[in-house]
Amino acid sequence: MNSPVDHQKTATATARRDAPVLEVRDGSKIYGGVHAIEGVSFDLYPGEVHALVGENGAGKSTLCKAIAGAIQLSAGDILIDGKPVKFSRPGDALAAGVSMVYQETSLVPTMTVAQNLELGNEPRLTRFRSLNIQAQQLLQSLNFHVEPTAYVATLGAARRQMVEIARAVKHQARVIVFDEPTATLTPEEIMHFFHLVEDLRARGVAIIYISHALEEALKISDRITVLRDGRHVVTAPTRDLTRADIVRHMVGREVIQERPQRLPAAARALREKVLTVENVTMGTAVKNMSFTLYAGEVVGMAGLIGSGRTEIARVIAGALKRNLINGGKIYLRGKPIRYRTPRQAIDDGIVYITEDRKVDGFFETMAIDDNIYIGRLATKQGWTFALNAGDRNRIASELIRRLRIAALDSRAKIIELSGGNQQKVVVAKALAQEPQVVIFDEPTRGVDVGAIPEIHAAIRKQAEEGKAVLVISSYLPEILSVSDRILVTRMGRIAAEIDATEADEQKIMYAAIH
Amino acid sequence: MTQADIAVGRRQSAGSRRKLQSQELAILAIAALLALIFAVTLPGFATINNMLTLARSVSVLGVLSLAMALVVIGRGLDLSLIASMAAGAAAVMALLGAGYAFPVAVLAGLAVAMAIGLANGWIIAFIEVPALFTTLAMSLLVFGVARFAFKTVLVYPPTDAHAFLFLGQGKLFGVPMPIIVFAVTAAAMHLFLSRTTPGRFTYARGDNPEAARLTGVDVRRDIIISYMLAAGLSLLAGLVSASATASMNLQIITGTMIFDVVLVVVLGGVSLVGGRGSVLSVLAGALLIGVLLNGLTIMNVNNQMQDVVRGLVLLGAIILDNRLHPRDEETARQGD
Repeated sequence: MNSPVDHQKTATATARRDAPVLEVRDGSKIYGGVHAIEGVSFDLYPGEVHALVGENGAGKSTLCKAIAGAIQLSAGDILIDGKPVKFSRPGDALAAGVSMVYQETSLVPTMTVAQNLELGNEPRLTRFRSLNIQAQQLLQSLNFHVEPTAYVATLGAARRQMVEIARAVKHQARVIVFDEPTATLTPEEIMHFFHLVEDLRARGVAIIYISHALEEALKISDRITVLRDGRHVVTAPTRDLTRADIVRHMVGREVIQERPQRLPAAARALREKVLTVENVTMGTAVKNMSFTLYAGEVVGMAGLIGSGRTEIARVIAGALKRNLINGGKIYLRGKPIRYRTPRQAIDDGIVYITEDRKVDGFFETMAIDDNIYIGRLATKQGWTFALNAGDRNRIASELIRRLRIAALDSRAKIIELSGGNQQKVVVAKALAQEPQVVIFDEPTRGVDVGAIPEIHAAIRKQAEEGKAVLVISSYLPEILSVSDRILVTRMGRIAAEIDATEADEQKIMYAAIH
Repeated sequence: MTQADIAVGRRQSAGSRRKLQSQELAILAIAALLALIFAVTLPGFATINNMLTLARSVSVLGVLSLAMALVVIGRGLDLSLIASMAAGAAAVMALLGAGYAFPVAVLAGLAVAMAIGLANGWIIAFIEVPALFTTLAMSLLVFGVARFAFKTVLVYPPTDAHAFLFLGQGKLFGVPMPIIVFAVTAAAMHLFLSRTTPGRFTYARGDNPEAARLTGVDVRRDIIISYMLAAGLSLLAGLVSASATASMNLQIITGTMIFDVVLVVVLGGVSLVGGRGSVLSVLAGALLIGVLLNGLTIMNVNNQMQDVVRGLVLLGAIILDNRLHPRDEETARQGD
């Protein structure tokens, strides 16, 4: 990705026009006794692009939701033009000129583009003709090629985002918050998006840009603020920061790229083929994917969001079904398999560890040990009609020890644990099923920094014990540090296969995008 | 997270765990308080006879509520319980009247009830129609078919069906049979939910169905089984009820009894979001409703007024449930 925009950072960053348009002072937000953000201060000047970076769970979205009025701060102030404001709902923020463009777009799919633009401040009587004409004018002025009469449901991710942005402009937003705007876009669309951000900045709009992609933040922003564990770490002009600086601030220490012992390619050839995927196709998400997993090896799978990584993993694990006709073949130790439910995959020793533990990972009403024990109970060998507290304690305590789950009391509820320990419990639940093939989907998403190396060690350990391991991750350093071999997916296909000894972030990104 | 942080987290939620359990205890306390007030102010409330009447009157409701709790803990809802209860019991009585032996008639009735449960469970698990609509429609369908089949709304047992009549009118060691049936069912349900793997899977399914599926629980099969078990239990309630009054009026299918069942379940803390509550919740809910209705009856409060009271208590219970277990994403999850 060559820089699509060559803006003069110096001009905007130094020539701060007057006072900040938006300021947060000592903002804190508490969810269930836990600080999502704590004492965060943040300011934003007109005509500035201010990137907000930090790991998952660092509090970026929480801060921005508070700014956009979607949630209220537990403590601290928000000031617009130097005056304290209280937003009790997004409408209030909108009226004050603060607009947020969400990751999952907030448009109504069954309405047209023009209707969506009007949403929230429709006049009593709507004349559709004038509505469409106004929308057309607005979209044209932004140089967006979107038909006002098209239904939003028929638009792709990029066009939907354009509509959201147009809506923000229509509301005369002076502050626009973009939450991971490029996650679902193609490279060309990203380029177009960057031009648009330039355009908005030129109009004097202040922009908050939340992103995981540090390269984007470095490219487009004037200033960068780093959050870590809900706290403000640093705010500095972008030109004073390097990628390494930001990573250090995000993680809180020097990140040592520790590379474990790799299997030489020659040694791999002697290993047992455990799982072979041949030309597997599922709808439009997975197209003709083929690869092999060997015993005792960690395979990393990198690729953009929506490139079919999670889908292929779920197909293997029986959680999704591949196409019935021309869906390709999957072999487990030479035996063709086609699962209708995850239960069948688990019986065959294939487990999938979900990318979002809160959505479909753990059981929030249950204790730590019950969460682990239920994994064993759900297997053919582990099922017993009567529950057995002795079995539960034995299985749970062993895995708690092996994965170093920091729990003072294994009878405590899982929701009392930190993100990293919750993730370890979900991993423990899967390992309690004594699998032969383990698929980790985003194993360290929303995990506290200290737990990440431990989870990586646990992943390596699985391979050392002779299991076949697949790790899906959007975080390239993670892919590089755990994998023996790396698969890169792009638009539902395997775009490249790279040996870990030869891999670096540039190679992977190149394959993922081009 | 440091050890200290964990310790803090533990303390906080030890509190929240107490709070959750306390819903049942609070309801029990309210029931006891109400009973005390009635005992002092209402002559005839605190007598052995009235206590037995009270217990007997909540027995049928209690068994139905246990069935409902089983389904609701698994994140379902069965509004057709009254239908399977009435249709099943009517079938048993009709077969007894036709000269079949008691066990044969009961097995046939069980088949009728479980067929209704199977249909419910299959539509909910495989066609993925919301349980509310499925069981509501099923209830109406069963009512229609039953009226067609029995040609009358009032079905009576033959007068010589002693085994059958014993269920509702007999006594064992001086205790009326309905109370014994309720107690045994409650004990069995308690063991099932708290000591067996299928019981644990019921909680898992109610807590997070997709997580249960990914963990390897056969969620669809389990949903069907839970509706069949609930329908089977409803037949038991129906037999006791029909035996006690020596009749079954099919019109109760369209009556307000199902509201009482939902009321008992939700009141005691079996949350409609699933995965929460226990047999103790059902006992607490049943006791409070029993005391309340018994007291109101002694006070000679008319039926209409009793309906108003029940409606208000039900609304209150659902509001409380909603406050304690919000479905709101924003409070359920942390940011990022």
